[in-house]
Amino acid sequence: MDKTTHFGFKQVDVEKKQGLVKGVFDSVAGKYDLMNDVMSMGTHRLWKNYTISSSNVSEGDHVLDIAGGTGDLAIKFRKKVGDSGKVILSDINGSMLNEGRKNLLNHGIIDVDFVQANAESLPFEDNTFDCVSIAFGLRNVTNKDVALQQMYRVLKKGGTLLVLEFSKVENEMLKKIYDLYSFNVIPKFGEFFANDEDSYQYLAESIRKHPDQETLKSMALDAGFGFCEYHNLTGGIVALHKAIKT
Amino acid sequence: MFRLAIERALNHMINVNSINIDRLDNSLVSLYVDDIDLKLFFLCLNSRIFVIENSEQKEANVDITLNKKAFLSLFKGASFEDLIESEDIEINGSIKTAQQLADLFALSSIDIEELISQYTGDVIAHQIGRTIDRIKDSSTQDKDSLIESLKNEFTTLLIAPSRSKFFKKRAS
Repeated sequence: MDKTTHFGFKQVDVEKKQGLVKGVFDSVAGKYDLMNDVMSMGTHRLWKNYTISSSNVSEGDHVLDIAGGTGDLAIKFRKKVGDSGKVILSDINGSMLNEGRKNLLNHGIIDVDFVQANAESLPFEDNTFDCVSIAFGLRNVTNKDVALQQMYRVLKKGGTLLVLEFSKVENEMLKKIYDLYSFNVIPKFGEFFANDEDSYQYLAESIRKHPDQETLKSMALDAGFGFCEYHNLTGGIVALHKAIKT
Repeated sequence: MFRLAIERALNHMINVNSINIDRLDNSLVSLYVDDIDLKLFFLCLNSRIFVIENSEQKEANVDITLNKKAFLSLFKGASFEDLIESEDIEINGSIKTAQQLADLFALSSIDIEELISQYTGDVIAHQIGRTIDRIKDSSTQDKDSLIESLKNEFTTLLIAPSRSKFFKKRAS
């Protein structure tokens, strides 16, 4: 019997999910940053700033940004690690990596490496990085537990994993407003700004299928991390999980 | 934010001054400031310090309980032995580890009173003061980085109302 997994609210064969997610990101890559600003009303910049502040990254560090897409985190990490450090931007999707490459060049950054890689099989040696980040990417990974084990593997002892991801809204009233907004307004924004309603319908659905804060914390601990804490942002619309390899 | 500020300041000091904290490696220190109900865990790993909120995954090597006055004194370089003698600090576990962490506090240039003021409620005043300082620092840089710096600072300020609500709740 074939194994299935979720793709938004649909059940699909496990081996098909990666291709379906690829289709979504091939479609949205060119408008990704614009849509992030529109959908979150700019708040995603605050969430990412907070992530960078929490990273404990300093000059000379090696950082891997998984599902780094258009490179907004990589740009900020590059500033923190300086010339003696190293930032690698990885994404499974070639269209998103191309957008990232353009964006970094526009910022005058030429020494970030780009690696097209699946988070479930990272092509890096064990104990390589001081920090691994994944922002709004983990929910699109088919086998999240495998990806977390890979992130653990490539981190040095004392290294930090940062997972910034949509999560579970705590307040019931906010949850109702948020549901209304994400299922009725976001797909329409997608149609209007990116001519792609389906991809943004998937976005809203995939958020609801993603593990909640406590479940993701347990998954990180199961993957081997010695400590994991999370911080809710904007009432839990987004949560930042910070896990430490001990 | 409070934990984050202490963590960043300590690690910055360790990096800039190349301070060797190998003797603290793998240590977990629990610190409780009883009169403001502030609990922090300091995890030392691979020449870094992590300030975490709970440590359900690991037992602390040493538990330190102290009052706010003693906590502030540690950052101002007060003698650890004197504080123990005056019974302002209670220690369970390795005194040596506690002493080494206290030495780091003393070396740091953390404005702990300002941080405490954030924790206990006066966050807006602190945030505005910090933003003005940063903008002043940036004014010597080029125009582009000044604009970038202003954008970053004002996005941080935008969070302040919700944060102040959180701090107010903690203080009440």
